[in-house]
Amino acid sequence: MTGQSCQTAAIQAGPRLSPARALDAFIVSNLGFLGVDIALAHAANRFARREEWWPIAFSVSAALLLVPSVLWPRRAAAWRLVEFAIGTLAVGVGVLGMILHLQSAFFEQQTLANLVYSAPFAAPLAYVGLGLLLIMVRMEAAGSEAWEGWLLVFTLGGFAGNLALTLTDHAQNGFFSRSEWAGVVGAAFACSFLLLLLLRPDDAPLARAVRYVLALQALLGLLGFGLHLYANVARPGSWSDRALYGAPLFAPLLFVDLALLGAIALWARAQRSARPLNG
Amino acid sequence: MVQFKWVFLAVFLGTALVVAALLINARRPSLERSQPEAVFVEATGKCAECHRRETSAVVHQFERSKHAAKGITCLDCHRPAAGQESQDHRGFVIAKQLTSKNCAECHSTEYEQFSRSRHAAPSWAAVNGVKDFSPAQLELGERFHQGWVNRPAMGIGAMEGPAALASGCNACHAIGKPNADGSFGSCTNCHSRHSASVALAREPTTCGQCHMGPDHSQLEIYGESKHGALFQAQRASMNMSADPKQLTTADMPVPTCATCPMSGLEGMKVTHDTTERLSYYLFAPVSLKRPNGDRGQAEMKELCAKCHVRDRIDRFYAAAEQVLVATNEKVKGATDVVAGLRAAGKLTKAPFDEDIEFKEFDLWHYFGRTAKHGAFMGGADFVQWHGNYELLKLRREIDIEAAELQHAAPVASADVPTLSAPPAIPVQAAAAPHAPSASGAPAASAR
Repeated sequence: MTGQSCQTAAIQAGPRLSPARALDAFIVSNLGFLGVDIALAHAANRFARREEWWPIAFSVSAALLLVPSVLWPRRAAAWRLVEFAIGTLAVGVGVLGMILHLQSAFFEQQTLANLVYSAPFAAPLAYVGLGLLLIMVRMEAAGSEAWEGWLLVFTLGGFAGNLALTLTDHAQNGFFSRSEWAGVVGAAFACSFLLLLLLRPDDAPLARAVRYVLALQALLGLLGFGLHLYANVARPGSWSDRALYGAPLFAPLLFVDLALLGAIALWARAQRSARPLNG
Repeated sequence: MVQFKWVFLAVFLGTALVVAALLINARRPSLERSQPEAVFVEATGKCAECHRRETSAVVHQFERSKHAAKGITCLDCHRPAAGQESQDHRGFVIAKQLTSKNCAECHSTEYEQFSRSRHAAPSWAAVNGVKDFSPAQLELGERFHQGWVNRPAMGIGAMEGPAALASGCNACHAIGKPNADGSFGSCTNCHSRHSASVALAREPTTCGQCHMGPDHSQLEIYGESKHGALFQAQRASMNMSADPKQLTTADMPVPTCATCPMSGLEGMKVTHDTTERLSYYLFAPVSLKRPNGDRGQAEMKELCAKCHVRDRIDRFYAAAEQVLVATNEKVKGATDVVAGLRAAGKLTKAPFDEDIEFKEFDLWHYFGRTAKHGAFMGGADFVQWHGNYELLKLRREIDIEAAELQHAAPVASADVPTLSAPPAIPVQAAAAPHAPSASGAPAASAR
């Protein structure tokens, strides 16, 4: 990345609806919603440790600070420093979160069971993904091939994390219902297709297949949301207990979320392809 | 087809990932996969995840237990049994309080034996009377221990106050507390909660949590006995965790407190009815033979025979029964003196308001019992110095005090205070060891 391209990206006005603005909205909404999701998850732990409040405070602050990026694309180049700082902090929060989650049980015995039943170690990596995404896309010209490539990289990373999460979360149930494998299968194929698209970006049949795969991931996420909701309604216990300790209601929506990120990348690719070569 | 080669490769890779996930899951222990309900799978790890932080010892105790080795989950024990109140607990529905009924879900035979033993209803009734029992619990208790459950509360506890009753008497007598779910007590008194240990129940100190002190010195007597001395010398080589149904003298060549009344040594039937093999009501002021005392003695002798020859066993029993008869006579003599004073109006009707009443109580409740327990458990010092010598001394003090009271004016009946539940200290007719069986009336304490 050159300084010039950075500067160009910083002053780009862009259309009202563009992949770049969609991505900014994606990052802000994800950071904000992570705060809600973590509040629910840590409430299940009754915020046993003070550190459990940190990601919530970070999510709220980061989302609020990044709102101007979505509303006013013509932001000053200096604002980029704030975005880099937020991205870097997000990476730090994510790594620290993963270590603390693993410390909850896994580091003690380091068994597969500990990995399954400790706090979800892959969950805090969402911050790492969002932080790195924010940093990397600001270092590329919006909508460029490299920009699109980073989006696909982080979509792939997200699905890889999702694969680990669905595997360990549903392992807590012993995959009691066969439908619990659907998330694992979906995430596995999302990973394989996105990986090969990164390796062979010009393969047209593969690119078309990825569109269908992403669409299926979105449907799978909605189906998972429904199934989790049903599981919680059918579960015995109080409503508050079911909401906190039942099937995590928002977790399947991560499939929809990542499909959207992948779709933004494909949208940028389509726009770039439609542009005249001498542009 | 060639143009789709990368799509095929993607499908292949995705399939490989799924197969890998299936293989990883298949390698998990069956305990973590094969449970009747999903919530039991969660319980294999979720409970420990929190409790490692909140009450970590229980997790470590459970992990060392046979229950854990056999794949029992936390929820197997903590789920509500029929008739139990439940509560939501971080995603699980568990019983508000565990009782022996939860253990009975798997160990029904052991619970059935326990529920007809003196550890059950009679133990609680000895202190608290009949008021806490449901009709079904009362019926069960009275069926096996007629007169020992349908009885008034112990007066001494009422005089000492609720705090002493709760932390003193009932800390032990709760072993037979009637539970709201219809069961009695809790198995954890002897087996502990999360260790659920057979070895612990075989430790003399476990029985000694309650069976110790001046009123029933079994732990001290055992410690002094040959059995106790041998146990101390050989415990390191003993297999205290041996399966109760497979227990042999190779596992435990020396008996502990639990062995003689309960163990299924060398093919004998193991029992949780701790009174099944006992012959006499040794705890009573005047000890009579138990209703099934002859059968119980025969079973006990069968167990003795795993180590001793028959002649030696018979001589031991004969000597112990002589102590029992002699102690009965000594106790009856002393209680007759006090009863005579009361009949003559020289004592108030209220219990424990005169010095001589404490002496009478100490005589049978401490020293009479100690002499008899010492004789039946091989504790010579307890037959003599902690038993008969004290009996002799107290009888003399009672006689001196009785003589003084004979010359005193009768107590005015108007001065007599009353207790809502006076202690019953029945004076039963002394019985020869082989006299016809009689359950007798309840004593003030039944341990």
